[in-house]
Amino acid sequence: MSENEKFDVIVVGGGPAGLTAGYVAAKAGLQVVILERGDFCGAKNVFGGIFFTNVLKQIMPDKISEMPVERVVTKRRWSLLTPDGEIAGGFKFTKYSEEPYNNSYTVIRAKFDKWLSEKTEEAGAMILTGATVDDFIIEDNKIKGVKVRMEEGNIYGDIIILADGVNSLLAKKLGLHKELPKEATIVGVKEVIALPEEKIKDRFQLNENDGVAYEYFGYAAKGAIGSGFIYTNKDTISIGVGATIKSLLEHKYNPNDLLEYFKNHPAIFPYIRDGEQKEYSAHLIPDMGYDGISKLYKDNVMVVGDAAGFVNASLFHEGTNLAMESGRIAGETAIEAKRKNDWSSVTISLYEKRLNESFVIKDLKKFRKLPKTLEHNPQLFKKYPEIMEEFVRDMFTADGEPKNNKQRRLIGRLLKKESIFGFIKTAFAARRVIL
Amino acid sequence: MSTRIFKTMEDKLGLDKFKPFEKTHLKIKQGINAKELVEGKLFVCPAKVYELNEKGEAIVSFENCLECGTCRVAAPDEIEWEYPQGGFGVTFRFS
Repeated sequence: MSENEKFDVIVVGGGPAGLTAGYVAAKAGLQVVILERGDFCGAKNVFGGIFFTNVLKQIMPDKISEMPVERVVTKRRWSLLTPDGEIAGGFKFTKYSEEPYNNSYTVIRAKFDKWLSEKTEEAGAMILTGATVDDFIIEDNKIKGVKVRMEEGNIYGDIIILADGVNSLLAKKLGLHKELPKEATIVGVKEVIALPEEKIKDRFQLNENDGVAYEYFGYAAKGAIGSGFIYTNKDTISIGVGATIKSLLEHKYNPNDLLEYFKNHPAIFPYIRDGEQKEYSAHLIPDMGYDGISKLYKDNVMVVGDAAGFVNASLFHEGTNLAMESGRIAGETAIEAKRKNDWSSVTISLYEKRLNESFVIKDLKKFRKLPKTLEHNPQLFKKYPEIMEEFVRDMFTADGEPKNNKQRRLIGRLLKKESIFGFIKTAFAARRVIL
Repeated sequence: MSTRIFKTMEDKLGLDKFKPFEKTHLKIKQGINAKELVEGKLFVCPAKVYELNEKGEAIVSFENCLECGTCRVAAPDEIEWEYPQGGFGVTFRFS
């Protein structure tokens, strides 16, 4: 392809961030090409997960009813897993079973992202699949396009939106970020397990289209810094566990062995009993938070979604919506750049300005201490769950001992294991990063 | 307890759809002690792509790669990692 046939926008990566950027720009009449390395958009994409559709609704309100979703997440639950049991709490709201369904759905990404890519094509974007991008075309010290490892070869464009996911080799190549840090990169492994629909509804006490998001903290990753999850789809369950790479290296754990441990934990196993495994997947999660996000733009380049590090790893576990919002803003910035015919950072810096005003950056800022708090408080993952279990279990043990005696005795015993100062310090640190 | 649904890694990977390319996209750099690398770092690979044979040499089963990038982050100085050829590698269908 020659420079005479150049696009306005080249998007690298057909996930939620890239497709949204492409959709918004194409809808406004820009010439857009999206390069996806999989056989179709969604082929390589993995998440927990919940797909939050607030941004989708904003950009294509008339398409929302066609979304290929599995279940509406009406019930969320957080559990502190201990080696033998769990202490849990959560909510279930009937309001979430009604319009607008809290914009929270479980989805199968192979179906959902593919659907989103079809809508993006209908909006006028061109999507090339099987296209791995290895490098940039740089001429006269300017980024003019990308090099694709296929017959198409060089593709020229005015702006390149890097939506190539957590392993963004391209953003790294431009020096926009360094290598992912081991202590703040989570490897998540997941299995999809099939069960009859009726069984899923019974086990999780669900009405017709309702679904759950169960998250497991504490000892979910056998003492490593990590957590586990269960999400219900129509007739499958997504179950997985994640831990920081650093922590896995220190504990000498393989993530799959952690998943097997988690699946067979007495508090977990009853949910998946007699299920049939359908798929096993693995994916990295950028958990660096606000202080680890990449530089977001330079002349002719913007970075969106996981490639930029947009994941809210607090209790809220949001990612897809941050990806789409960053994609939307990048798309709008491209429209502005086209109007001004200026693709330099003078105009492109609008992307960062607008992002700073959005929930993406505001939420990441709110939870900016999360990665360090987890890293520096390993007691949250083993010692404390054990202490909590001992306390609650003993308090509820029916043995005729008066409750006041029990309490005094237990507090005395606990304070031998951890100082009151240690408890308070950890509690404050944890609270600040959770809500 | 009732029956567990354990599967070996081999059986688990057998569930996934792979279209391996003819050439590897994962390489251990020249001059690296493979045994130390696999035992010290690459054991974290979720698909156990890196294993040692009886002679202590690394076997890299790139055709089983889930393309997550864990090995790249665990051993950035010892591994050459690139995405597989477009259209090849793993295709997720139910995730």
